[in-house]
Amino acid sequence: MKKKTTILAALAVILTLSAASGSAWAYFTTYAQARGSYPIELGDRTTVEEEFSAWTKHVSIKSEPDSEPVYIRVRAFCGEAYQLVYSDASGKWSPDSDGYYYYSDVVKGGEATDVLDIKIENVPEDVKDPASFNVVVIYETTPVLYREDGTPYADWSAKVDAKTVEGSV
Amino acid sequence: MKKIKQFLTSPAATVAVFVLAVALLLFSSIGGARAALAYYSDTYSSRVQMYDIGVTLEENGKSVSWRNYDANSADGSWDESTGTLLTQMLPKGEQLQIGRKYKEELRVKNTGTINQYVRVSIYKYWTDAPNGENAGETADTAKRRDLSPGLIKLGLVNTGREWLVDESASTTERTVLYYSKLLKSGETTPLFADSFSIDGMTATKVTQTTETKDGYTTITTSYDYDGAQFCIEAKVDAVQEHNAEDAVWSAWGKRVTVENGILSLD
Repeated sequence: MKKKTTILAALAVILTLSAASGSAWAYFTTYAQARGSYPIELGDRTTVEEEFSAWTKHVSIKSEPDSEPVYIRVRAFCGEAYQLVYSDASGKWSPDSDGYYYYSDVVKGGEATDVLDIKIENVPEDVKDPASFNVVVIYETTPVLYREDGTPYADWSAKVDAKTVEGSV
Repeated sequence: MKKIKQFLTSPAATVAVFVLAVALLLFSSIGGARAALAYYSDTYSSRVQMYDIGVTLEENGKSVSWRNYDANSADGSWDESTGTLLTQMLPKGEQLQIGRKYKEELRVKNTGTINQYVRVSIYKYWTDAPNGENAGETADTAKRRDLSPGLIKLGLVNTGREWLVDESASTTERTVLYYSKLLKSGETTPLFADSFSIDGMTATKVTQTTETKDGYTTITTSYDYDGAQFCIEAKVDAVQEHNAEDAVWSAWGKRVTVENGILSLD
């Protein structure tokens, strides 16, 4: 009986001490946290619209309504015997040393470029069928990027880092 | 002597001591009551210092999230609020511009009554954008581990002397900063971030799917980051000034040295 009492007393002392040490180890702490998120959208779908009249191709590039803003450049190719002359009424197309004509404005989703006229010159008078000419128009787009201050620019030298996946049909 | 011992061990003595104790107890309370009746004190003021810890995360000068202990409240509870970052980043109707630097000024304020040391853990990651959710709102969506947190650029400032980067705890997804000075009650730290932007590299990562049907091959190019949403998370931890080294070790599991109020990482 006496032994039991002693054990109980010792236990009481240990419990009391542990309670005291617990409070000694507790420190004042607190925290605050916040989170924010935002979706980004990339990708564009554009189509070229061409009309032909008077040995001239009238080219305009159209961006689909849900497309992201892009910059556009155009170039045409034909046989060596003929010469291509570019012109536009708006003055927004300008040539560069690489042979491309660059459209100065950002083309947003749902918008289209002004028309670029590509005239085929030196056509022999006896040629009547335009289908006998093969003038290929190539256009390229690149997503609009922004400098730190928000100024838009095109990076035509950016190389795409592509993964290739085999699809199934 | 023997008689005294005999008296002390007798039941009569026990009863006598008990009666005496009761009497003393009664008289003592009566004395207190008399004192209360007989005396009153002049008007005086007293000041009680409460040891309340509290911290607030500020974004662009406004409090976003906080957790302050309030010992004066009825139940001694926490006054806390968890807000959302980036909600004011864009004017309504304007789209996020890749590469543009947006203002994102983040700092910490001591909103408690005791001085403290603070650290900030910043997390950057990508998730799938929840359908139908408004931009800027948060939701629990799965992390996209195939997209690089490094392309989310948070412009850290004042690092080196005021905000110490814990390189051992930092990754491309997480950055841990310790404020080297004691943050006194009511004071605000210098900014630890002032801007953020999305790297233009996001526009160069694409996946090309090749499909062949009836002898024709179609290549479809899709942007890897299209439709993903970036997330920025900031968590501020604060710990008491006293026994700061042990408190930091106990609360954050990090060994630091505090000398003359300056904290340094071990």
